[in-house]
Amino acid sequence: MTMSTTAGTVAGAQANPVTGKAAAVEQYNYDIVKKFAIMSLVWGVLGMFAGVWIASELAWPFLNFDVAEITFGRLRPVHTTLVIFGFGGSALFATSYYIVQRTCQARLWGGRWLAEFTFWGWQVGVGAGVLLYMMGFTQGREYAEFVWPLDIAITVVWVAYFLVFTMTLVKRSQPHIYVANWFFMAFILATALLHIFNNLAVPVSFTSLESYSLFSGVQDAMTQWWYGHNAVGFFLTAAFLGMMYYFVPKQAGRPIYSYRLSIVHFWALSFLYMWVGTHHLHWTAIPDWTSTLAATFSILLLLPSWGGMINGVMTLSGAWDKLRTDPIILFMITSLSFYGMSTFEGPLMSLKSVNALSHYTDWTVGHVHSGALGWVAMITFGSFYHLIPRLWGVAKGMHSTKLIYVHFWLATIGIVLYISSLWVAGIGQGLMLRAFDEYGNLGYTFIETVTFMHLPYVVRAIGGMFFLAGIILMVYNVYMTIAGAKRSVEVDVTARSAAVAR
Amino acid sequence: MALSSDKKPAQVETTGHVWDGDLREYNNPLPRWWLWTFYATIVFAVVYWIMYPAWPVFKTFTPGLSTLTIEKDGKMVEVPWNSRNLFIQEMQVSPSAVRQREFVEKVSNASFEQIVADPSMMAFARSMGAGLFGDNCAACHGQGGQGNLPGYPSLADNDWLWGGSFATISTDIQKGLKGNMPAFPTIQGAALTDLANYVLSMSGVETDAASAMRGKAGFAMCAACHGAEGKGNPMLGAPNLTDMAWSNIDVVGAPTVDAKRKMIEGVVSKGIQRQMPGFTNRLTPVEIKMLTVYVHELSGGQ
Repeated sequence: MTMSTTAGTVAGAQANPVTGKAAAVEQYNYDIVKKFAIMSLVWGVLGMFAGVWIASELAWPFLNFDVAEITFGRLRPVHTTLVIFGFGGSALFATSYYIVQRTCQARLWGGRWLAEFTFWGWQVGVGAGVLLYMMGFTQGREYAEFVWPLDIAITVVWVAYFLVFTMTLVKRSQPHIYVANWFFMAFILATALLHIFNNLAVPVSFTSLESYSLFSGVQDAMTQWWYGHNAVGFFLTAAFLGMMYYFVPKQAGRPIYSYRLSIVHFWALSFLYMWVGTHHLHWTAIPDWTSTLAATFSILLLLPSWGGMINGVMTLSGAWDKLRTDPIILFMITSLSFYGMSTFEGPLMSLKSVNALSHYTDWTVGHVHSGALGWVAMITFGSFYHLIPRLWGVAKGMHSTKLIYVHFWLATIGIVLYISSLWVAGIGQGLMLRAFDEYGNLGYTFIETVTFMHLPYVVRAIGGMFFLAGIILMVYNVYMTIAGAKRSVEVDVTARSAAVAR
Repeated sequence: MALSSDKKPAQVETTGHVWDGDLREYNNPLPRWWLWTFYATIVFAVVYWIMYPAWPVFKTFTPGLSTLTIEKDGKMVEVPWNSRNLFIQEMQVSPSAVRQREFVEKVSNASFEQIVADPSMMAFARSMGAGLFGDNCAACHGQGGQGNLPGYPSLADNDWLWGGSFATISTDIQKGLKGNMPAFPTIQGAALTDLANYVLSMSGVETDAASAMRGKAGFAMCAACHGAEGKGNPMLGAPNLTDMAWSNIDVVGAPTVDAKRKMIEGVVSKGIQRQMPGFTNRLTPVEIKMLTVYVHELSGGQ
């Protein structure tokens, strides 16, 4: 594997082997980055396992085993919470803490314990949340199922995160703020806004986990999808663009393609995303004008979204030769391709006429996964393969480059199986639901559409299994890399102490 | 991708900023195709806003220039485009809606006998009935009305618990049904075995003949509903016990005579309580009529 040697050393990770003390090199807080990176992989495996399980339940319903805790309804939010907030969230904490320190040349603000607080707060929040879902405690708001006490706890953690990140920016020793940090900043601010307003609720009592939303009816639906879509927009898009803007030029060893483009698409993206949530509610009881605005702003969002893809792809374009030798670049270019594809598909599906077909079908689920697996997970994998050896100070890179290739192909085949099977399932079901026979009666019963979807559901579950197998391989590769790093430090220490003794 | 037409990055200056040792940015201009496509989406959006309801203005909103023509009180009128008017128009002019409405009018005014006698009305009833049956009945009674034992009786045989005339089927769909057989926990031991054997023998199952003979006396209690001959009574929903059409327990599917007898003993000891919901509030009168014809035909009808 070729590791582009960076001018900034990886020394931050290397403790002085003789004294065991972290040397002057403790310029950055890598400990917190390591913790988040590891937990990201832990939640990733669990969350993707939950996803494979519920996908299998849809294909083979006996897998419910009549156990309430593992039925689809309970495990679905477990899956989404673990992969979005557990895997994705921890990956964002890890990479944002790493990037903000390195691009500001400043150690994380708030000392050791504030960052540590964000770590434990986030992990306990995610863990408690999913256990409560399995016990049946949920707020019933999509991607915001956490019960109200956890919502409050998460808010506190998020404020701490905001402070650590922003104050690190403030005390930077670089004159300019690197583009990746703009995206992380937007993500932190928008997520705070979304989380607080979407979760405004009146608890049944102080001793109850149940609560009533402050909003009702159409307002409630619109608040939920304002939140839901901007969770996609700022949590799963803007923040991961931040990740992309650091790791792609680093790994390619090339400058970002266009500073101007990054400015324009950053502000366009930030401005436009907030308007589009209502496209999840087309053809329901919402006022028509809200539908129009949501659809048109979704179309307006296409090119600003693509700005990030262009900047990433064009940055890589001088390094095409590396595609042959560097599987990390493969992960990155593939993630950008899926990002481009799903941000094209999204505006398409937000048009009312397309939505009339796609809504309430698995096309939506396939679309989400082309973004979530193809973009979010793939850019995270690529970034982590770059990050992990540097965190643990392994100069030769990951333990096995071959396994990175295998992971890449497992993941890619998995995604293709997943998306294409749900296109078949979703578009097929959509067409069946709207089919009339020669008498003007409905052409199919609902159960016929379910029967039709069995085979695509099987393929989808298999696609998920491929993807899960990939991240399990990654965990092994990461484990071996870290274990190797520990061993070599030990050998080093022994050799040196022997030398000192002589 | 048509990106290569842009200037080679190498010829462009970087911004001069450097981060983390080697992170730099070129200052390439916005790709032209990107910029023009972005402008095109803006034009698209503006046109859309002009044509359709779009922007909130105080307590109202811009309605858009787009209109629809619908029939109102026998006259064609032009109305603003909105999803409600769009729905009204669809129901007025779409070929499927028009076709369905013609048939609905026709079958509404026809008697069951007329519908059955008319091939085109019958075809409509089959078409609508199949959809309604699949979405409302099949969950319990099975896709083909074959039933699902234990509990959910077959609608596809010619054995009617509650009667199989058009009128009865229609009423039962509307009001639902409550099947209730009292439990007889006091019948136990040999008496229970004998009675069960007797019931089995009624439908021709080969069983312990002597025991069955002893059980005959006990059947007097059952005869109140099932009749002295065990032929059943549709007025009470009491099934005929002399045919092989078991409506609640899967006697036919039981592997051994012992297992069959155990099933019957279970029913005698515990009784039966089951309920079918009524559909008056879920289906329109025409839908219930079509479903009646469909269910009637499933079994050949009475």
